[in-house]
Amino acid sequence: MMETDQNFRLSSTARRLGQAGLTVAALLLGTAAVRAEQITVWSGYPEMAPFYQHVADGLKAQYPDLTVSVQAIQLRDHEKRVALGLSSNSAADVLELEIGTATRYMQNDLLAHAPADVVSFVQDPKNFNKFFGDAGTMNGTVYGVPLFRGQSALYYNTDMFKAAGIAAPPKTMDDFTTDAAKLAQRDASGNLKTSGWSLRLSGGGQGIAEKFWINMFQYGGNVAVEQPNGKWKMTLDTPEGIKTLSQYLQVVWGDKADSVEFPADSDAFERGQTAMFIRESWVIGDIAQKAPNLHYATSTLPMGSIVSPVDLFVTGQGKKADEAWAFAKAAASPENQLWMLDHVGWLPNRAGLDYSALLAKTPQLAAFVQLPADYKFFSLPNIAPEDEFMTGIADRLTNAFADSSLQGHPDKIENVLKQTSDAAADVLKQNDLLDE
Amino acid sequence: MLERRRWLFAVAALTPTLAIFAWVRLYPIIETLRLSLFKWDLISKKQPFIGFANFSQLAGDQRFQQALLNTTVIAFGVLIITVPLGMAIAGLIHYRMGSRLASIFETTTFIPYVVSLVPAAMAWKWIFDARLGPLNAFLGLFGISPLPWLFDPMLSVVCVIVLCSWQALGYAVLIYIVGFRNLPVSLFEAARLDGASGLQAFWHVAIPLLKPITLYVSVVTLVSGFNVYAQAYVLASDSQGAPGRQVRVLVMDILDNAFRNYKVGYAASEAVVMLAIVLLLTLVQFSLLRERGAK
Repeated sequence: MMETDQNFRLSSTARRLGQAGLTVAALLLGTAAVRAEQITVWSGYPEMAPFYQHVADGLKAQYPDLTVSVQAIQLRDHEKRVALGLSSNSAADVLELEIGTATRYMQNDLLAHAPADVVSFVQDPKNFNKFFGDAGTMNGTVYGVPLFRGQSALYYNTDMFKAAGIAAPPKTMDDFTTDAAKLAQRDASGNLKTSGWSLRLSGGGQGIAEKFWINMFQYGGNVAVEQPNGKWKMTLDTPEGIKTLSQYLQVVWGDKADSVEFPADSDAFERGQTAMFIRESWVIGDIAQKAPNLHYATSTLPMGSIVSPVDLFVTGQGKKADEAWAFAKAAASPENQLWMLDHVGWLPNRAGLDYSALLAKTPQLAAFVQLPADYKFFSLPNIAPEDEFMTGIADRLTNAFADSSLQGHPDKIENVLKQTSDAAADVLKQNDLLDE
Repeated sequence: MLERRRWLFAVAALTPTLAIFAWVRLYPIIETLRLSLFKWDLISKKQPFIGFANFSQLAGDQRFQQALLNTTVIAFGVLIITVPLGMAIAGLIHYRMGSRLASIFETTTFIPYVVSLVPAAMAWKWIFDARLGPLNAFLGLFGISPLPWLFDPMLSVVCVIVLCSWQALGYAVLIYIVGFRNLPVSLFEAARLDGASGLQAFWHVAIPLLKPITLYVSVVTLVSGFNVYAQAYVLASDSQGAPGRQVRVLVMDILDNAFRNYKVGYAASEAVVMLAIVLLLTLVQFSLLRERGAK
């Protein structure tokens, strides 16, 4: 009897356990089925989140069960999470990456190869010119779909220019210096109230070096130049570099038209704290949101601009990857590219777009899309240690900008640039990229 | 037989805990020590052995030297402020305030310790703002011209020290209050009978008796100081519209080297150096502050 009771209890328990197991399995299967319909997009530009959502909404007709989760954070943190995510196979399905950052991952084949239809799409010159089509390609393998680019122009406050009696935006770098001095405003105590030209003078990250290179480019120089053998030669401690650093120091310590601790960049421009600054096209969308009544215009730079391509890359294989590629292609469609320019401000990489309607609505875009025939471009080195290379230069330049003793001393300036150049050359050398 | 069974039971009971401890504590340390001898870029499969090359490169790395100097100054700065101030405030709370007010002051002093770090750092960033911050406005009342708190190389380090001390003080006070409450009253009565004033009793009786507490607080504070990161990051974040001088600290340098420069082996060697320094300082503290055995 007792044995029968025990058997009964055991079989009852086993039945309950079996039922619980089946329930859990059903839940997991159901959850897995739900998860298969979601793709995740990682972006390093928070202002792009609405764009990706817009692209996702447009995909509903083709993929009604697809949900797109957009996770957009600040760029430097985004780069760290991509590094961790790709190395641990836990990255998002779609990654938005600057080409300089993506280079290392393409070299190590950590990103998905584009399928045939995407390859044809990217390599079609009607869709993208060769520069942008090749940017996300390595060793003949297409990894990325071109999305947008960073390209700089001058933003200037037209009210302040009028008040200072300046009829037109600066056309030469000497004009920049003299206009900055005229535009700077001070309060009764003589403290700077409005900077004449907002330069990028402090803070961490490679942006300081990038902005310095943009200015140096206007003098006809470059921080480093790629050689035919694929290696790089440092050209920072040259007359063009000295002129550029001298200009920074003249503006900050000579004319005191800007200062290290003064508010800077787009926020300062939108608050009316600076008369002009050089930045990418996204600022137009930012101003439309935060300072819609600001009277401003844009102008091309004297020599040319930086171009920093950003692509969408896909990780993984299978059905999710197919949906991810479909998302990337949709993001590069003409309609979505124009929507991005209109609502966010980043410049599309798509070729053959008609900007006339947008230009009529936002004439400030002209400095980014209607360029002089001889306008020149440069890109940051497309090398694996690009961030370390540029950040090291930025660190030393930050110290130089804050050193008033350098102003008016070209020999000291040259010494600083030489030390900066040598340190940057070390980074290239460690990675076998220095042309000696 | 019973002893063996008890021993086996003890081992079986401790094994899961020890296994978890080994996995989350020991394994990362051993792996870091191993990685410091290799070159690895985080994403490739190759990890060539390079011996002590990372360490010799560290010796000439100016950014690492700057980070080490900043971190050391911050850690010792926080220690010098937190330990004596924490002891003094705890003493005041314990001896002077009476039981009801004491709990209010304890709570008020402990609040900075439990406040979330990032919003607290943002608030201090505003306080230190060169143009709009209340600190410069207060100094202006005394005719002192505005100081570039977050931009000057030295002042920005001072700002990090102030923020870290403000947060660490509450914990130190709490631990010292516990110490004070456990001091034998008879010794203070004896001191009073011998004619010692309150201050003399505090200096000659309380402080020596609080050595174990001081040892604990100073070790914890110093280790915490060497791990400073979030405070430096938030106070001078590279947010482009609100620039500040980024105080380079060791943890920041390690993270940058590992996940931005893709030099994991190099970052591991930095972590090993940091570990060695903190261990050495802890040993020094133990030797200075531990109780000597009775002869």
